[in-house]
Amino acid sequence: MKIIEIKNLHKIYNGSSVSVHAVNGIDMSIEEGEFTAIVGPSGSGKTTLLNIIGGLDDATEGSVEIEGVKINELSSRKLTDFRMKNIGFVFQAYNLIPVLTAKENVEFIMHLQGSKKADRDARTSELLKAVGLGEMMDRRPSKLSGGQQQRVAVARALASKPKFVLADEPTANLDSHSTENLLDIMEQLNKEEKITFIFSTHDQRVVNKARRVITIEDGKIISDIRK
Amino acid sequence: MILSIAWRNVWRSKTRSLVMIAAIALGLFAGIFMMAFMNGMYNSRIESATRSELSHIQVHAPHFLDNTESELFVPNGFALAEQIAALDSVEAASPRLIAEPFIMAAHGTGGGKMLGIDPEKEKQVTDIWQHLIEGTYLEKTSRMPPVLVGKKLADKLRLKVGTKINVQLVDFNGDLSSKGYRVAGIYKTVNTGFDEMHLFVNINDLRSQIGIQPDAVHEIAILLKDNSYAPLVKPAVQKTAAGMDVQSWKELSPEMSIITDSMDQYMYIFILIILIALCFGIINTMLMAVLERVKEIGMLMAIGMNKRKIFNMIILESVMLTLTGGLVGILLGIGVSRIFEQHPINLSAFAQGLEQYGMSTEIATVFPSHSLGILITLVVLTGLISAIYPARKALKLNPAEATRTE
Repeated sequence: MKIIEIKNLHKIYNGSSVSVHAVNGIDMSIEEGEFTAIVGPSGSGKTTLLNIIGGLDDATEGSVEIEGVKINELSSRKLTDFRMKNIGFVFQAYNLIPVLTAKENVEFIMHLQGSKKADRDARTSELLKAVGLGEMMDRRPSKLSGGQQQRVAVARALASKPKFVLADEPTANLDSHSTENLLDIMEQLNKEEKITFIFSTHDQRVVNKARRVITIEDGKIISDIRK
Repeated sequence: MILSIAWRNVWRSKTRSLVMIAAIALGLFAGIFMMAFMNGMYNSRIESATRSELSHIQVHAPHFLDNTESELFVPNGFALAEQIAALDSVEAASPRLIAEPFIMAAHGTGGGKMLGIDPEKEKQVTDIWQHLIEGTYLEKTSRMPPVLVGKKLADKLRLKVGTKINVQLVDFNGDLSSKGYRVAGIYKTVNTGFDEMHLFVNINDLRSQIGIQPDAVHEIAILLKDNSYAPLVKPAVQKTAAGMDVQSWKELSPEMSIITDSMDQYMYIFILIILIALCFGIINTMLMAVLERVKEIGMLMAIGMNKRKIFNMIILESVMLTLTGGLVGILLGIGVSRIFEQHPINLSAFAQGLEQYGMSTEIATVFPSHSLGILITLVVLTGLISAIYPARKALKLNPAEATRTE
């Protein structure tokens, strides 16, 4: 079942002297349960594409439909709400809230959704255990390694039970061991819980794990390989 | 949870927050102490004015205060004073005769206001007897009637206890009457202007000089159990003294009334100026707090925290920061004011200047507790207003760019 349908997507950044066509007519779709890597050199448009899919940036032309909802037609308020309920985000620099513990970081989004405390506690505990941080729930990010912080970020992305998770270069700041560990966890979550992951990455290790690899150059898809 | 995040964010940069909290606390402490000091100063003025000069309520014949003529008297004044003294909330009432004589002494002449009093009744209303610095309180020590003069007048006319003065005034029949008095005592209040102008004699001595009927008085000075009762007791006094002019100390001394009535406004303006100055510091602190957290705010927007909640979080942080400093400053201000309420500040070095304005050289600071709620509201408003610009700045962030900020 298709959960994301992208049609004729364009994004043009107008600078003072030159315009940059960051996304240049992309058509693609993502099926539920896919484990997809979007690869390409720096400046190829993969992060822009991910931002538009996540509703963080507007498209200049074309449409992004998530389970039948054209997100580029939503108002800013509705789009924020849509993101909260449907999309999980994992950022390159983890972007955890430093004043909150691992547990609080994960449950924060559920709090925004208005979940009950008992539900929050149960889900947080379950997710942190799933990413191997069951014993470190009360640690603040400053007391966790980069790999551990990124695992908390994955748990946070899953807390709201999103339709898919967008991960923008999630392993860029991690060593090989942490990268392997994180990828194993995400792969496991994908296989066991059918969570759809879409990565933008430079990392060959991520590409190796992905079951679908979309290569972008100059804002266009030049290959789309399913393994 | 947003409340908890906001509070933890306040302490994220401890040094910066502590510096800001200290600045707010210090500013408010200074403002509150100043407020308590000024309040104490004007309380001392009111106290000295009501206890030594005006009392709380006065009764006169109509138009007496416009032109002090002896025929404008209160009939049956002694009996009326007794009736008024028996009213609820009235401490005592003292009947007085008043004349505006010309004073001649060996070393000079001068004018003034002579009050004929019943020494014992007057003791219950005013505290002139406590301000005696030489001699006795209208005790007759020679053939001549005794007079009590102020230190300033005594210095001006070089009077001493036992010195004779001659007092000339226009009597009840419009004739010029002259009478000798001997200085029995010299008093000194905190108001040199009052001391220069007021002489006290026994009511019977002045009556005989004016030639007015025995039951007539020009003024009944009334002391209440508390000066704030004046507006409540005034109607009862008016009812008792029907047809007479009844005025409270605020009406008798409108300039003092203006000071006390506008005191609160002055103080709030003073505090407001301090808070406006602090506002810039808080804006700067909050702006730094927002700009340091661009990536985090971008992430919050990305994961679905709406603009209203982000705005509220920043406003809350600012209010918490301001309120922490504000409460420390307020508590400090109240605490120090209480200390100087028990141990008044000695300003005898400035005695001459203060006494010209009728103020005591010992100022007991008084924190106006009714201002507490308004003060806290002002502090909260300062925090709120200071956060608007930084919060708006945060809302303008683009989550896609903000999450990738280095």
